[in-house]
Amino acid sequence: MMESRLLRVNLTTGEMRAETLPHALFERWVGGSGINNWLMWEHFLEHDIHCDPRSPDNVFVFGVGPLAGTGSGSGVKGRITFKSPSYGIFGDSAAGGKFPYMVRFAGFDHIVVTGRAPRPVYLYICDGNAVLCDASHLWGRSTGETHALLQQELGDYPSHTHTLTIGVSGENLVGMAGVISDASRIHARGGGGCVMGSKNLKAIAVQGSGGIKVHNPQGMLKWSADFRRRIDANEAIYGFKRRGTLGAVEMYQHIGSHFWRNNQGCLFRGDEVRSDNWVRKYHKYSEVCSADCFIACDGRYKLDGSESPKAAKYAGESFRRPEYLTTASAAGALDVRDWAEVAHWGKLTNEYGMDNQDLSCSISFLMELKEKDLISDRDVAELFGRSQRLEWGNMEDIEACIHDMATRSNLFAELFNDGPYWGALRYSQRKGQNFMKYATYGKGGASFTEEMRPFPTWMNNMAVASRGADHLKGIGLIEKFQRRDLSKRYFNGRTEAADLTIPDLKGASTALIENQVALINSYGVCLFHWMLDPAGFAPEEYYQPAFTEVTGIARTPEELMRDGERICNLEKAFNSRLGLRREHDTICERWMYEPTTEGMYPGSVAANMFEPVLDEYYEWRGWDRTTGLQRRDRMEALGLGDVADVLAAEGALARE
Amino acid sequence: MSNPPQKELVTGQQWYAPGAEIPDVDQKLYALQNQCTDCNVCEIACSLVHSPEGELNPLLSRIRISHAPSVNSRKATHGFGFISAICHHCGNPPPCAEVCPVDAFYYDPKTNVAVIAQDKCIQCMECVPACPFDVVFVAPDGELLKCDLCGGEPACVEACATRPEMNNAGKQYTRAPVLFHADAKAFRSVMQQKPEKRDEVGMMQAMLERGEISSSA
Repeated sequence: MMESRLLRVNLTTGEMRAETLPHALFERWVGGSGINNWLMWEHFLEHDIHCDPRSPDNVFVFGVGPLAGTGSGSGVKGRITFKSPSYGIFGDSAAGGKFPYMVRFAGFDHIVVTGRAPRPVYLYICDGNAVLCDASHLWGRSTGETHALLQQELGDYPSHTHTLTIGVSGENLVGMAGVISDASRIHARGGGGCVMGSKNLKAIAVQGSGGIKVHNPQGMLKWSADFRRRIDANEAIYGFKRRGTLGAVEMYQHIGSHFWRNNQGCLFRGDEVRSDNWVRKYHKYSEVCSADCFIACDGRYKLDGSESPKAAKYAGESFRRPEYLTTASAAGALDVRDWAEVAHWGKLTNEYGMDNQDLSCSISFLMELKEKDLISDRDVAELFGRSQRLEWGNMEDIEACIHDMATRSNLFAELFNDGPYWGALRYSQRKGQNFMKYATYGKGGASFTEEMRPFPTWMNNMAVASRGADHLKGIGLIEKFQRRDLSKRYFNGRTEAADLTIPDLKGASTALIENQVALINSYGVCLFHWMLDPAGFAPEEYYQPAFTEVTGIARTPEELMRDGERICNLEKAFNSRLGLRREHDTICERWMYEPTTEGMYPGSVAANMFEPVLDEYYEWRGWDRTTGLQRRDRMEALGLGDVADVLAAEGALARE
Repeated sequence: MSNPPQKELVTGQQWYAPGAEIPDVDQKLYALQNQCTDCNVCEIACSLVHSPEGELNPLLSRIRISHAPSVNSRKATHGFGFISAICHHCGNPPPCAEVCPVDAFYYDPKTNVAVIAQDKCIQCMECVPACPFDVVFVAPDGELLKCDLCGGEPACVEACATRPEMNNAGKQYTRAPVLFHADAKAFRSVMQQKPEKRDEVGMMQAMLERGEISSSA
């Protein structure tokens, strides 16, 4: 029997209530992000779904899955779910840190926050109890300072203190503000920090000395021993233990998959930003991002100033290693060519608590306009309230922009705080000129700093991901790495999914992998173990015994895939209720029509394959092709009759 | 041995009379400095194997291993230290057992490790300050926690994954876990081993070599 507890917090009234999440909920939604989605769905059955996401009617759900921190060795990921303030659609985001791990020991698996506190507060949870505390002394502080102050304030008894905090950007309701777990891991996408800020909730701090019940501990230990042996024997994972996601720098340089200068190119320039340079000069030690992980791909650096020409300026700075997308947004989108500056960019965006994808694409959009002389110095001065050079790779310039955005202190921040799409649109309207050609974005206006034009599944991901353009909902790894073995395994011996020159089976791959990712996210574990060995660690097969040992819920791989599909369909239903249809599943003009000029696949445009791939995606999902809406028969087959009823009442279900 | 231990027929627990000579523990737990990634898997595994109800809680663990960025270590003199609180299984007799007013310590016949008999323990906590290494822990419910080496097959060692050598200058790496169950000599030889010299295999090379991915269209 799986049972866990949910904490409901109404910030308007200060009322708090603990509830039991029954076994049936785990049977239907697996846990983690699945249950998060359901809790948000239930909230918006009673509240107006079309509400302003920055209003007290929005909900902020935190959740962690049943496998998290059970000794499985597959990492711990917390997940926040909310209606996105920057994109106006479904929003969720995952991160590590020891916060989600500690939440479970404090006696809760999920936290639902509604309303708005009359003044800044933080929520303190300790061993099954919760209390709202005054946060006026934390307001205006960076995420690192807030974390340190809370740790000092709450101490080490009954356990270490772990926190979820927002930075200055969240307080200022910047749309791209994220939530920082334990001062260094960010729930970046969608603007969770803005939602917390709109609720006057500066932080959640947690201490716990309770335990987690595992259905069959011996079985779990046996499973995790096998898991560890496979991980230790895998050479590719061993490389990943050292370099983490930075290993992708070389890989993407090889296949031409970077995002350079607002995606005018797809290769990094200069030789410094490479993972072997990082390992040799900057890496101090490896560590886990959260807990309970056999890989530990995260690391720490401490600059002594001699590493590179620019490092002297940051001597003494210490933070966690930048991830690939931190690097891609700085070294790629903004063309910063020094590791010390890339690392500093990562630290700064964390301290302010902002999504560096949306931020870098907003800045790089303006840099491109400036480079092409589409805006004058006077326009720039109007935007920034001062003269600003907007030069590629100029870290001083970029640092000033980050500060503007976080404090929302000028026109640039006002226009672009919801990301490059909304920024470009507002700026075009203001200037009476169409600059949309230079904005890079996908669904919902979310941006993403990786090249995807030659990769049809990725391009499809960017168009259909429920939380707006994103690779982590339907990672196209079958096609990007040309894995024929996976294509054969999942598509009855067909190999087309691994061939990126044709549109066949690309939409199908997205649908399939979205289901698998939904499962992983609902287990509450990290994606990377599976991503590094997708044939060995299939979430529906390899993880199935672990799920059963922990929860006692017996499942076949087919049933688990259906569970994954059910979770994806609820996310889709949420967006359908908000009025999203086929025409919203789209990507920007640059990706669609402007051919790539370099890399392994020059001359690629997304438009070549976009429509057939999207058609195929809808077909595999069982959704209507013309409208993109869900059909009742498929919903009922997934046990979502009640959701279909809600959609039908609002005209958001496909006509029979 | 002049004073043979008293053996319980049902449980196999060995009890020695006060003042009796107790054989040393040969194989102990050791940790490699600066290899730890702070993943807590050892603590989780420890609490899980010691809990009959399948309850997992790092505060019930009998070892504590963590990063402490403010602490110096021999290798990292500017912070970034490493703390390993592991029972040293002191010799004859262990100070924790020596001070026990109710003689609640028995000895595992296989490993000679002193173990607390929880049904005899009165939770007076005398053993906590008596431990010279501060590694007898107190659980939230008052239970005294001391490493028992899991009867010779420590779960923490089993759970610890292999790590790349940290802080080295580039192209060499070793494959060692953080935790070892070994005698002092064997552990010293691990410590003194030079990291194996080889080209570091990146994610992509490894995948290419295994024929898992292809990078041509």
